[in-house]
Amino acid sequence: MQVSVDKKSERKAAYLFIIPAVVLLAAFLLYPALQTVRYAFTDYNIMRPDRIKFCGFNNFIELFQDKDFWIAVKNTLHFTILVVPFQTVLALALALLISSRRKGVSIFRAAYFSPQVTSMVVVAILWTVLYNSNPNSGLLNALLVNLGMEPCGFLNDPKSAMNSIVFMSAWQGAGYQMMIFLAGLQGIPKDQYEAASIDGAGKIKSFLYVTLPGLKNVISYVIMITVIQAMKLFTQPYVMTKGGPQNATRTLVYYVYEQGFQKRNFGYACAVAAVFFVIVISLSVGMKKIIKA
Amino acid sequence: MTQKQRKQIGSLAFYIGNTVIALIFVSPLIWMIAASLKPEAEIFKGLNSISTFVPKAASLANYQEVFSRINMWKFIFNSLFYVMVIIVLDLFVNSLCGYALAKFEFKGKNALLTLVISLMVFPAEAIMLPMYREMADLGWINTWASLIVPFIAKCFSIYMFRQFFLDIPNDLLEAAKIDGCGPVKTFFRVVAPISGTVYATILILDFVAHWNDFMWPLLVVTGEEKRTVQLAIQTFFGSKPINYGPIMASLTVSAIPMLLMFVFLQKYYVEGIASTGIKG
Amino acid sequence: MKKRVVAAVLTAMLAGSLCVGCGQVKERVNEDGESVITVWSPTDEPAIEEWWTEKIDAFNQAHKGRIHLQREAIVRADSYAYEDKINAAITSNDLPDILFVDGPTVSVYAANEITLPLDDLFTEAEWDDFLDSSKQQNTYDGKIYAVGATESSVALFYNADMLEEAGIRIPQSKEEAWTWTEFYEAAKKLTKDGVVGTNIIMDKGEGLPYVLEQFWISNGTDLVSEDGSQADGYINSPEGVEAAEFLNSLIQGGYANIDPIQKEFHNERAATMLGGSWEVATLENDYPDLNWGITYFPVAENGILSSPTGDWAASVTKNTQDMEAAKEVLRFLFSEENVTTYAKAISKPPTRKSSYDVLTEYNEYPRSMIKEQLMETGHPRPRTPSYSVLSAEFSEAMLNIFTGVDAKEALDAAAAATDKDYNKYYAQE
Repeated sequence: MQVSVDKKSERKAAYLFIIPAVVLLAAFLLYPALQTVRYAFTDYNIMRPDRIKFCGFNNFIELFQDKDFWIAVKNTLHFTILVVPFQTVLALALALLISSRRKGVSIFRAAYFSPQVTSMVVVAILWTVLYNSNPNSGLLNALLVNLGMEPCGFLNDPKSAMNSIVFMSAWQGAGYQMMIFLAGLQGIPKDQYEAASIDGAGKIKSFLYVTLPGLKNVISYVIMITVIQAMKLFTQPYVMTKGGPQNATRTLVYYVYEQGFQKRNFGYACAVAAVFFVIVISLSVGMKKIIKA
Repeated sequence: MTQKQRKQIGSLAFYIGNTVIALIFVSPLIWMIAASLKPEAEIFKGLNSISTFVPKAASLANYQEVFSRINMWKFIFNSLFYVMVIIVLDLFVNSLCGYALAKFEFKGKNALLTLVISLMVFPAEAIMLPMYREMADLGWINTWASLIVPFIAKCFSIYMFRQFFLDIPNDLLEAAKIDGCGPVKTFFRVVAPISGTVYATILILDFVAHWNDFMWPLLVVTGEEKRTVQLAIQTFFGSKPINYGPIMASLTVSAIPMLLMFVFLQKYYVEGIASTGIKG
Repeated sequence: MKKRVVAAVLTAMLAGSLCVGCGQVKERVNEDGESVITVWSPTDEPAIEEWWTEKIDAFNQAHKGRIHLQREAIVRADSYAYEDKINAAITSNDLPDILFVDGPTVSVYAANEITLPLDDLFTEAEWDDFLDSSKQQNTYDGKIYAVGATESSVALFYNADMLEEAGIRIPQSKEEAWTWTEFYEAAKKLTKDGVVGTNIIMDKGEGLPYVLEQFWISNGTDLVSEDGSQADGYINSPEGVEAAEFLNSLIQGGYANIDPIQKEFHNERAATMLGGSWEVATLENDYPDLNWGITYFPVAENGILSSPTGDWAASVTKNTQDMEAAKEVLRFLFSEENVTTYAKAISKPPTRKSSYDVLTEYNEYPRSMIKEQLMETGHPRPRTPSYSVLSAEFSEAMLNIFTGVDAKEALDAAAAATDKDYNKYYAQE
């Protein structure tokens, strides 16, 4: 008897707990998202809301023949595949570096987090100087030339542009994941480390057998959101490269913005967004399976 | 080598290593502050040398200009107000939902989890316009509601709460139940109090995200009454030529609340270690 | 207790979400029965903000009981952000009565029937007082859709010390303007010791068509046809390709940076600069020690003298409910006196010829040069409803050329994309 009463009150509580979030998500995320999908089947020009016409699958047919779209898919995957492991490992390393209780550690914590609070305006000015392709103006190229190497085009060379953005993004974004890892590290009971150290485990062993398993749920969360954020890359290409040179940094979300707002093909942009949606969802569902396994 | 010496060397390596890495991370922030103290003509001088980080003759003229030209205090207050309201509601609504997804069994649980993950991927750039239309239909343009209500429920927060609540031992919940706590009481009396670090983390990340938000406030807010800090900063990018001195000063001012918030919440990252003792 | 709070929150939310679709139509009349005319213009520097406050007060005093003028200053950021805001307002029919837009986008809004014609705003005699460059920019399909108070130009700024040291001739009249070859040779000669020969606006945005279109015009072509309906055969014509290749030779030689560092010319890291007229004031105010001068925009061999023009202008939108009142406001804002005071406050060249009689600084070098270029060699940007696409495609093509793509190939792609947009949305009209 007791059990079924419990179950019932639990279920009641569950619905009570989820309803506020569900109502809000439905009204302000699901509803506009469905609108976007609806517009994907129209010829909506952003300046002519009075002339929206249903056009069936035309946008999708055009999309699959659109070279720029496929390049955007490729670029987005390129960025994601490189940045996710790089940024996650960097964030974990930073979190481990400063999880100790030494004096002044909070200053370092703030320092690693600071690119998150630094405006993109400043970041763009300084990375233009760092990455400048002219060795007379650019710091990194001045260094390369001094070391006797060929100067690199960085953002102005289609071969290196995306990798330059990967590096910059990991630098700027790692503080975010670092905070989540830090929170996760706090959750690992101290006595587990003590037990491991009594068993004679060194630093590496206790990392492998205590820290990593203790962070399991956190790591899967971090990887998941880093993938999703990486797939949504927009700001850096928007500010630094405008998708160029030679399409090298045109990502899917940048393409959505460019088509929908700058070039005003809003219906077409919604179609790109819808396809993007499908790609990322299948990716995250697949990832959920892999992480679980 | 004695134990003590080894410890000292470890300490030294810790501080030197961290300082070097920290400088790489913090240099743009330092540059921004240095630039905010320089006269206009000095800001971009010697950009590719270390001297660019040091203002030769520091002056607060740029800050004076910012505060005399625009009502910066009001805009800071506006931003603080709407961001704090979002965060308080976000922490409340999303932690409840995340907890239900982590610890309760109910019909539609898997569907909801899938929906939460799916909605995370929808780029803001794609739903901005339909969302704007929705705000216009509701008559919410130029109101606080348009800045706040759409951003309370957040899939990132729900999912993160869920992942952290998964780690709370069931024994603890059972114990609460035996003590006569219902699910609601258990959550507020037992679960929430030991989850300070998670709340603090989401608070920080949320704060930074909304504090820096620019595009949405630009669309829904017109005029000065509800202008946010980020919009206010952009007023210095008016007609050409652009003066970067006041821009750097206003960017510095706008970074301060974020840094303060960050420092203030640090205690949760130290206390966390002690309080999780009950878990074992 | 907690439960009750939650329940209350939920009810409120549900009630809120039911409200979807019950927005109200705003009548643009206030309690005093005055027509309310709202202006959107970009936020600006203090002198201009003051100008607005003062003029709005004066206008409202004079029109008490009939018209109430109010301005909403919109944060501009880059102009795309401002355009995004307009786009959003278009979807919900929330446009202000009077909208300030950047010169080349006048045709875009006009072609999409967002803005309305203003030919009868002034008498013919009064329109004659406006500079041709400004009127042309604001005309679409034979009708005037906007009116502006200020203009802009681009001239060749030079570091006088560096030019003297290199023994390079400085043109004294527009007939003596540097040819492309001279420009190239000068840039080459001046590039040394960490200084680049020249600085070209490389903002990867609107700055590129603004400055670089002149190289097409000077070489006898343009980015699009006169009526704005076709890019193919213009932007990618042999003359156009030649212009692009000339610009690319400056980049490839290392005489100009693709990503110039901030204020390269001002900090003596570039010997010359194709800079906007607004730089005159910056250099005078913030860089008093720099020994600089300005001269004419370089010209193609046996080419046409040409220089950029264009600035923001005001239009009346389709959402206005009182066209006559809106026109009354425009007549006031763009009167002789107000154009003069506005141009003075913002230190930009005015659009009305009569204003130059008052603003005597334009009779003296260096501003006299700006005035001369505006009146005699100014060419507005292309007037085409596909301008936004053209602008983005042109910037992209130039960046591609500078990073190694064949000029003809890149410009062909830009032409195709622009024409595709035109044919999709505007051709049948």
